[in-house]
Amino acid sequence: MPGFSGGGVGGGVGGPASAPPRPFRPSRYVPVSAATTFLVGATTLFFCFTCPWLSVYFSSVIPIYIAVIFLFTLANFCMATFMDPGVFPRAEEDEDKEDDFRAPLYKTVEIKGIQVRMKWCSTCRFYRPPRCSHCSVCDNCVEDFDHHCPWVNNCIGRRNYRYFFLFLLSLTTHIMNVFGFGLVYVLHHRQQLDTPHAAVTMAVMCVAGLFFVPVAGLTGFHIVLVARGRTTNEQVTGKFRGGVNPFTNGCWRNISHVLCSSQAPRYMGRWRSPQAVEVQPPFLRPPLTEAQLEAKVLDNGIQNDRHSTRSKSSLDQMESQSADAEPPPPPKPELRYPGLPRADTEESSLLTEAPPTPSMYKYRPTYSSPGRNHTALSHPNKMIRGESLDSPSPSILQSSRQPSYRSEPSSLDGATVVGGGVGVRRGGGERGEGPGGPGGTAVGMSGGMSGHSLTGRSYTSYPSSLVLSTGGSRSSSLRSAHTAHNPLATLQSEGTTDTSYKSLANQTPRNGSLSYDSLLTPSESPEFESAAHELSPQKPRALFPSTTLTGQPEVVSPGSPLQGYTSPFLSAQIAQQREGQLLQGSATFSSPHRAYLRAVSPPPFSSSGPPEIQHLLHHNHDPSSRAFRNPSSSSSSPGARSLEPPVSPPPRGLSLGKSQSYIGEAGPQYKPRPTGGGTVLSGGGAGGGQQAPQSTSRPALANHTTSKPGGGVKKVTGVGGTTYEISV
Amino acid sequence: MQGLVPAATDGNMATEFHNLQELRHSASLANKVFIQRDYSEGTTCRFQTKFPSELESRIERTLFEDTVKTLNNYYAEAEKIGGQSYLEGCLACATAYLIFLCMETRYEKVLKKIAKYIQEQNEKIYAPRGLLITDPIERGMRVVSFFAV
Repeated sequence: MPGFSGGGVGGGVGGPASAPPRPFRPSRYVPVSAATTFLVGATTLFFCFTCPWLSVYFSSVIPIYIAVIFLFTLANFCMATFMDPGVFPRAEEDEDKEDDFRAPLYKTVEIKGIQVRMKWCSTCRFYRPPRCSHCSVCDNCVEDFDHHCPWVNNCIGRRNYRYFFLFLLSLTTHIMNVFGFGLVYVLHHRQQLDTPHAAVTMAVMCVAGLFFVPVAGLTGFHIVLVARGRTTNEQVTGKFRGGVNPFTNGCWRNISHVLCSSQAPRYMGRWRSPQAVEVQPPFLRPPLTEAQLEAKVLDNGIQNDRHSTRSKSSLDQMESQSADAEPPPPPKPELRYPGLPRADTEESSLLTEAPPTPSMYKYRPTYSSPGRNHTALSHPNKMIRGESLDSPSPSILQSSRQPSYRSEPSSLDGATVVGGGVGVRRGGGERGEGPGGPGGTAVGMSGGMSGHSLTGRSYTSYPSSLVLSTGGSRSSSLRSAHTAHNPLATLQSEGTTDTSYKSLANQTPRNGSLSYDSLLTPSESPEFESAAHELSPQKPRALFPSTTLTGQPEVVSPGSPLQGYTSPFLSAQIAQQREGQLLQGSATFSSPHRAYLRAVSPPPFSSSGPPEIQHLLHHNHDPSSRAFRNPSSSSSSPGARSLEPPVSPPPRGLSLGKSQSYIGEAGPQYKPRPTGGGTVLSGGGAGGGQQAPQSTSRPALANHTTSKPGGGVKKVTGVGGTTYEISV
Repeated sequence: MQGLVPAATDGNMATEFHNLQELRHSASLANKVFIQRDYSEGTTCRFQTKFPSELESRIERTLFEDTVKTLNNYYAEAEKIGGQSYLEGCLACATAYLIFLCMETRYEKVLKKIAKYIQEQNEKIYAPRGLLITDPIERGMRVVSFFAV
């Protein structure tokens, strides 16, 4: 019971991995105490002062009826307060091991044709099932999370929603009863209003009248929610605004599910009966091949089948790569900078050092250090499995939420997202939802990753559109597709970003000590997540299909490559396709770059469409381009087209591009904050230029450092975006 | 949990009784396979029937699929909204939910059946192959885990 975890008593009740004991906070009990006092106190007074006359004057049925309703209200109130809402026990270490650093922060599943995103919960160590959310007050993941109700001091979730709903209904009825019969009494005693009975009755009527308005409002709200099959969390965060709710089965079925379904079992505090099992030795323990192990790690089910296979292969590649890399030094912040040359070995370090359990716990402090956010750093992607992605991208991506719900355009941050555009995007993006949202142009786009169509609307929303469009493929794209060795970097970067999210999420303290992370990462409160901030790494992936890196077009988006781009991007697509062969997948980054650029300075962007794309594409390829892209574009406006089309090995370029793309994505998000998106990002993105690429790819870093005029001075972004230089 | 380890019988095929908890604990770092939930039909409890490749050499595909399908059927039966669950709800309301103190809900009854079924499957099919299934309820019904002992 959440309300009784005070005094150091363990908050969890038995079960595996219970929550640690939480400190006693008396302030949590104020609303529930007040509610109880008012309810019980007012009703008792009513029974003592008003009901005797009512039973005499009218009939004794009235007090009995009122008493029944009151008892029903009280029973539901107690059930809503004391019942476990459906808390998930913390995942055990062995389960977490599978989702190691390589695992993305989000996994997508398809529910009735709609992509739904499951987020990794760093506290509970599993991917939250759909509709599950982590309550920050209770510090638990709750199944079918509705909201945390302070009046009952408990989360409302799958198990106790019914009681909460009935409590609201019965309380409304009870208030109406009390007020109504109190009014009858007062009207009959108009000449005797100075008697204590009348005075008390009037006081009770006042209390009832006062509470009636909010309670009735809340009741009506929940009636609508039940009829629509939504939770408060989903309604408030606008997940299905203008879209399709995959969890609804029709009004009647929704109501019957809430009211008539069998009581769901609780997961916490279950008694595990010891089972004796006869195990026959010797049993053959077939050696698991590397592929099988990888498969085990990555195979997360039907939805991710394609992805998992891809990621497995990519992992294999990474494994082979890591085998050649030198062992990385321990992940300490101070070592990070000198560890730049280690960037190459990040991958290997991740692979070789992956702690069995708890994953990355020992890395947590390091990752939460500000150093991680340095773009200049080769990036703390120890968490990211060996991907040479840039740190900024993880941080950037982390903040951005990728609403896998195609039907949740509104999940994007309102400030940065154009509603209409989003809707359009969504419409196109969702494969399963044709009618959802204004999918005019979007529909034309290929299913899945589309969503780039937004561009026209608002540049700021571009990243969000990309985010939306990327949707499901993101998680898969992360790991997948890069079988190629070098290109692995780029594509892996995508994956890494996701991975980094997860690992970052695991490590990131909520105090916002991370520079970009704190900015980027919305609070984990179940109430709201701003999707707008989420840049989906899938964006590049979406563009990716054209690349031949992995030879898996499905990675990015099903079907035609670069689909889903509306007109502004069509030219980009064409350009990309043209460049596709050369870029080998770096094309994907071009669009993010474009997005970034566009977001920063829309007007010039539009004019320079294709040439810019080409520049971007070229940039992607080249590490050297990175190097000089940094000086040229970094400090200047993010939209600087100073990108030059140098020729560079694709892998590096990809990684570079990736980082830049992420930076770009970050840019528009933070537009409000940093001017032009560049300044604040300084260390991180410096307009998306310098540091991002450096951090992303190791070669990039090398290039960067070498290209730096100071020689051996690295710029690192600290907490709050401050930049400082460190001599390497 | 005390493990019962009777003296090994003679011969090479000595069998030992192991407490499942011990096995699970010792296998905590061993290879484990997790069967995730299948959310394609919403949040109703279903597990994926796709055969994981790690088990390819350990167990036959049909046996695995049978097990998972039976589990899915059990869960579907538990979550079915029908006459019995409706009556249960009405009775609970009428008694101010005091009935929950004495009566077992439909879901709990099915969970017991599932536990029994898993136990039986472990004994008959999986233990001879060196595998063990854990009851998904222990992990919040998020995964079914197979671990190699």
